[in-house]
Amino acid sequence: MKDVIDVMELQKEKQRGKQQPLDYRKLEFNGGFTPARFIFECGIKLRAQPLTIATATVLMHRFFKEVDQANYDCYLIASSTLYLAGKIKDDSLKIRDIINVSYSTLHRSNGPLEIGDEFWNMRDAIVQAELLIMRILKFEVTITHPHKYLLHYLRSLEGLLGKEQWSKFPIARGSAAFLQDFHHDPSILDYDPKHIAAACITLTLQCYGVSLPLMEDTDDETWYTVFVKDLQRDKHWEIMEKIMEVYTKDEEF
Amino acid sequence: MSSKLKRYEKIEFLGEGQFATVYKARDVKTEAIVAVKKIKLGSRVDAQDGINRTALREIKILQELDHKNLMGLLDVFGHMSNVSLVFDFMDTDLEVIIKDNTIILTTANIKSYIIQTLQGLEYLHMNWILHRDLKPNNLLVNSNGVLKIGDFGLAKLYGSPNRLNTHQVVTRWYRAPELLFGAKQYSVCIDMWAVGCILAELLLRLPFLPGESDLDQLTRIFQVFGNPTEENWPGLKMLSDYIEFKPFAPVPLKHIFTAAGDDLLDVISGLLVLNPLERTNCTETLQKSFFSNKPAPTYGPKLPLPQNIRKLKDLEKPSLKRKLLESAEGGTLSKRLLF
Repeated sequence: MKDVIDVMELQKEKQRGKQQPLDYRKLEFNGGFTPARFIFECGIKLRAQPLTIATATVLMHRFFKEVDQANYDCYLIASSTLYLAGKIKDDSLKIRDIINVSYSTLHRSNGPLEIGDEFWNMRDAIVQAELLIMRILKFEVTITHPHKYLLHYLRSLEGLLGKEQWSKFPIARGSAAFLQDFHHDPSILDYDPKHIAAACITLTLQCYGVSLPLMEDTDDETWYTVFVKDLQRDKHWEIMEKIMEVYTKDEEF
Repeated sequence: MSSKLKRYEKIEFLGEGQFATVYKARDVKTEAIVAVKKIKLGSRVDAQDGINRTALREIKILQELDHKNLMGLLDVFGHMSNVSLVFDFMDTDLEVIIKDNTIILTTANIKSYIIQTLQGLEYLHMNWILHRDLKPNNLLVNSNGVLKIGDFGLAKLYGSPNRLNTHQVVTRWYRAPELLFGAKQYSVCIDMWAVGCILAELLLRLPFLPGESDLDQLTRIFQVFGNPTEENWPGLKMLSDYIEFKPFAPVPLKHIFTAAGDDLLDVISGLLVLNPLERTNCTETLQKSFFSNKPAPTYGPKLPLPQNIRKLKDLEKPSLKRKLLESAEGGTLSKRLLF
């Protein structure tokens, strides 16, 4: 098992440095990691649905793939993608809430934003950025999320493992967490959603050392072969490594 | 992006709705005639809210779909602060056809329209999307007799068990009883009720249940079908806006649709059932004997066309007129979604 990634070690390391609230204004763009983190923080505060947040991060990554990041304020784009994602997912996020949450997340020590020029400017900026994003993305705002595949694969695995074994390890929770965290990285755009779902599960199984019954881990047969035919072993590893890289980036924060 | 603006040459103004202005245009690149729907950013309030939700729904849903009986979204482009959607051009719609008293709608014609509607809708439902605003006005027809379902501004994904929907959907005359009683979880059955009303309208040549208010709508429904009870509609009284109506006796459909054959009445009685769970879905409806019995559905190009288009067609000019959107006079019927 030479190519197993030592997740537990990484997890421990992460817990060592207890997190300080981030000052986003001092952070670099960091390949999209920073605005994604911002979207997650604001999204959670706004009680947005997980899929809405995921949509926002994907839109944000897609946007910055097309443009030079230096020309745009990544937090404005992040707030705007959240607003747009709310509309796309029918998860109504009010623009005023988005403005207030973004503002206080960026300026933690300040009080609430007063209604005034700054508020109206932010509002205009978000609305205009929304249209810009739509145009840059050529109005293609439909996203196939890995989540739905993840759910089905997990359901099948639950049946395969049996209730008792299944309840011993938080496999569903773990895979969902990996998937969610992977949204910090723009490389989520590069892979088939089915492949991402499979990688999140394998990674979780590895973490908890769960082995599936009746499964010989051979080159031509793995647990996911029944679901995804076109996922090669090295590709599978590549995705898992990409997911793990997110945690390395998180360390650098 | 400005190249997109030049790509579509405006030919004429077609109509104006609540959310958009529609133009007929020529696609310079392909020489095709298209309809360009320019989303209004009219009032200050709309502009502040950014991209119109209705337009966004339409863009999102239509990009994923492709069926000969659904309006095809050919292109989307933005210019200044506007967003425009480019659709197939359609000559007329079913409302115009129904209202044109020079047209005779034979059973074969009706069969053709309904089959096309059901096939488009079946595809839509198979993709877990509800249309939520079916009415003759949104069933567009071109001069080849192809019917396409249009206006996806209220369309929505369905099937999610934990998601509540608004019951303020569907133009009132086509609104199913459960919506009128305030149901917030519903399924394909609301579209099926609307199809039933459209079929009835094709036969009667008049709106079947033209209610003047939501209560009047329910009264009209019960005048025909009798009052629902817990027996024929379990769970009825749990609906949030349920109220008791004075008792009505059901009228046999045969007395209303005197010209319809038994096989056609069977289709209607499958669609217009008070209990939503007992309504037939698209697939079941299409399997009814009416659709395989004689007469065969009219071949598309042989379907009747409204007067003005017929004349133009005779002159061998490209056919003109008629809009895409609901016209301004539909304003009394509630259409806007409340967010």
